[in-house]
Amino acid sequence: MNLATTEVKRAKLRFGLLTGAVALLVFLTLLLTTLSGALIGALVGALEGLKTDGLAYSDTARDNIAASRLPVDTVDAVAAVSGVAAAAGIGTLTTAAEVNGEAIDIQVFGVDSTGPGAPSGLTDGRLPENANEAAVDGGGVAIGDVIVLDPSGVELTVVGLLRGAQFNAIPTAYSDLATFEDIVTLSFPGLPFVPINAVAFDIAEGAQASEVIAAIESSVPGVRAYTRDDAVALIPGIDSITQSFGILVGLTFIIGIVVIGFFFLILTVQKLKSFTLLRAIGTTTGRLAITVSLQIAFVVILASIIAVGLVLLAVQGLNTGIPVTLEPITIVATVLAVLVFSLIAGLLSIRRIVRIDPASAVGAR
Amino acid sequence: MTASETPDPVAQATDSAAEGTGPAPAVDAAAHPDALLQVRDVTKVYGSGHTAVTALAEATLAVEKGEFVALLGPSGSGKTTLISIIGGLLAPTSGSVTIGDTDVASLSRKQLTRFRAERVGFVFQSANLVPFLTARENLLYVAGLVGMTKSDSRARADQLLDELGLTDRARNLPEQLSGGERQRVAIGRALMNDPDLVLVDEPTAALDTALGRQVVQLLRREIKDRGKTGIMVTHDLRMVEYTDRVFEILDGHLTHVESPSALGH
Repeated sequence: MNLATTEVKRAKLRFGLLTGAVALLVFLTLLLTTLSGALIGALVGALEGLKTDGLAYSDTARDNIAASRLPVDTVDAVAAVSGVAAAAGIGTLTTAAEVNGEAIDIQVFGVDSTGPGAPSGLTDGRLPENANEAAVDGGGVAIGDVIVLDPSGVELTVVGLLRGAQFNAIPTAYSDLATFEDIVTLSFPGLPFVPINAVAFDIAEGAQASEVIAAIESSVPGVRAYTRDDAVALIPGIDSITQSFGILVGLTFIIGIVVIGFFFLILTVQKLKSFTLLRAIGTTTGRLAITVSLQIAFVVILASIIAVGLVLLAVQGLNTGIPVTLEPITIVATVLAVLVFSLIAGLLSIRRIVRIDPASAVGAR
Repeated sequence: MTASETPDPVAQATDSAAEGTGPAPAVDAAAHPDALLQVRDVTKVYGSGHTAVTALAEATLAVEKGEFVALLGPSGSGKTTLISIIGGLLAPTSGSVTIGDTDVASLSRKQLTRFRAERVGFVFQSANLVPFLTARENLLYVAGLVGMTKSDSRARADQLLDELGLTDRARNLPEQLSGGERQRVAIGRALMNDPDLVLVDEPTAALDTALGRQVVQLLRREIKDRGKTGIMVTHDLRMVEYTDRVFEILDGHLTHVESPSALGH
């Protein structure tokens, strides 16, 4: 006779409503985690996905690639530093564009597809090999589409599709450096020279990153160098955004867990008469605690399955403008965290069970 | 219950319930030295100091194996406290309770839980059945507590339900049963673990007289047929005719042991 499952079977409405409420809480937590992850990914994905060990900006850029301006010969200067295996320029700008008759904002990166700084996350097609070709993340484009940049009028033919490679949460196109130069020249006529924004560099095998970075900064005037991860972490505002989303998700999670704990405490209080009877006829506290724990686990697991289904539907149905994907690791981590902390919250109920005086079954006190 | 001060002997002497003709329980207990249940000088005091209340004062009684006795007294006289102590639900302040060779008062909390599961059957006045278990499941649950095999427990539950006339109601939840049927299920549950002692607390409190008589008759039959020892707490004089002996209790003091016929109902 399993009390936990028998009660669930007999009280389908009660446990159904409870499961529904918990499913909504898990859904909210999972969706917020997914959306915040997607948004942060869309803001910094481009830098996170660059195939490079490090990046060098101008020392006046205040850690911001968009504010960095470097002459093209900085690439050779960085490449010549001891411990640098290879270096390549990266240029980037935000511009308007038209694709399939629709006006969009687009971030354009000029990269060396075969050197440091090439993008990752190719899901279809290939990286650009020729002028006026681009690999793109976002914007609803397909391979073969033509993106017309404004005001330069440069046309980019989409040859590859990327995922997780956006910057500033807008569609992002990767072309070669020569095409990038054309775009800048035609967008800003009269420029004395076309600067690049950064130098991507790979560190030679056996060399220490910190030593190479120090060597670059001391050897190449006006340059500040970073590992790729540091460059991502130092993007202006990203720290605040990450922390804000962390607080939002964390609070949702904590409130959800507390609510789940209270739900089960209410259920326990409602059943105190039965629990008192069961204690009186010889049921151990441990057995009742296991009953409550099993019911918590059952409700949370069932609710999590429902919540994952709802989030999958939401991710497909929501038009957020950024690529949102539900990662298995996010699902597993969230569900496990909800389960573990719900069981901990269930201690409120178990504490109440421990305090049951079996003598009260006969009103002896 | 009484205040901690000594009960007023004048008030006691003038109370009709204290005017029985039978021997004092302590004297009676001396005549049953080998009784299954021996309660000796059990006192229960709630609180301490000025707020102390004596619920039970030096209660002594003996009940033989196979006997079905009544504990008769008005509300608040201490009868529920006494069966709670006998059943291992409450610890006495002083005195001893032995069932066979087990000293109940010396058992730990954990041992008491085991003792209640294995050696005592309870029929309570209220909170008597688990509401989300059917009549049959209420019986089977007890079997699970004492480690009975599934086949044995099913056979025993079905037999008990049959004896109690509840075969057709085996799959009903308590809320679908009448008050009398619920008490019959509770009797079955109390016997499910094959206990030494069956403790029954006001089994007819929520029943009309006819139904109450039926339930107590059934209780007596089951206890006698199985050779169990039963104690029924009641304040209803009409129900004591089905018992072998009646222990009267007033203001926490066991006063007399009477035969049911001597109570003249």
